[in-house]
Amino acid sequence: MATLTDFSAGDELFTRSFPIDRADLVEYAKASGDHNPIHQDEAAAKAAGLPNVIAHGMYTMGLASRAVSEWVEQVGLDAQLSDFTARFAKPVVVPADTGAEIVVTAKVRKLHEDGALEINLVVTSGADKVLAPARATLR
Amino acid sequence: MLNPSYVGRSLPATQPVTITAQSVAAFARSLGFADESTPPPTYLISLTLPASNSLVDDPDFGLDFTRVLHREQRFNYLRPVEIGHSLTCTVTVESIKTVAGNELLSLRTDVAEEGKSGDEAQVAKVWTTLFVAGDAAMEGK
Repeated sequence: MATLTDFSAGDELFTRSFPIDRADLVEYAKASGDHNPIHQDEAAAKAAGLPNVIAHGMYTMGLASRAVSEWVEQVGLDAQLSDFTARFAKPVVVPADTGAEIVVTAKVRKLHEDGALEINLVVTSGADKVLAPARATLR
Repeated sequence: MLNPSYVGRSLPATQPVTITAQSVAAFARSLGFADESTPPPTYLISLTLPASNSLVDDPDFGLDFTRVLHREQRFNYLRPVEIGHSLTCTVTVESIKTVAGNELLSLRTDVAEEGKSGDEAQVAKVWTTLFVAGDAAMEGK
């Protein structure tokens, strides 16, 4: 079992990658209720000025939360996510044939005086930083 | 352009929504979580997004959703969301900022448990910032 105070600023925690495809976006749209066609339909995405279908920002943020949750379980922390914030810097473009890959890298930003552990997440797809910044605080 | 007089205004609280095992499992599965009985950290978006429908549909507010991109999102959890909770959402227009002819709209949604009052009722605060493209950005498309 690890505790939050075992970690300190700058510690590299994990890197996780998630291959995604159009079918994943359809499932997420159904589960979340966000049926904006730019996440499913190529013509709608292009009409909105996008290069192709893009993932829901919240789908990417959801995968980032999964990466954090799985790490918490893996290292045996008894902690809850108390704050989770992200800026959607660039869209994740999801071509029909190849899909896309989302990579989440986590480092400790700060161990707060009250014992909360703030994690900085870098989330990329190809060469683009797609969530920047993204931060998760565990208590 | 958005109507600036809406800044500070809150919508009426939504009708309570009861968190079902089915909706949690579907959300968790769509993100690949192994545990399908605990609401994932971003689950509340499925409540907070529809909570702002009446604002999106209000012609006096002037929001054109075809020009909107999601810019920022924050969840601050006061306690865990659980299956069986009955939750209400109160949306407040926190700010409207104009940046180079585009607008940034920040909404805060207070998520509370039905039947409780004050601090005991509070479950989470959720912030959503939307980028609303101005005419110049639309012409550039």
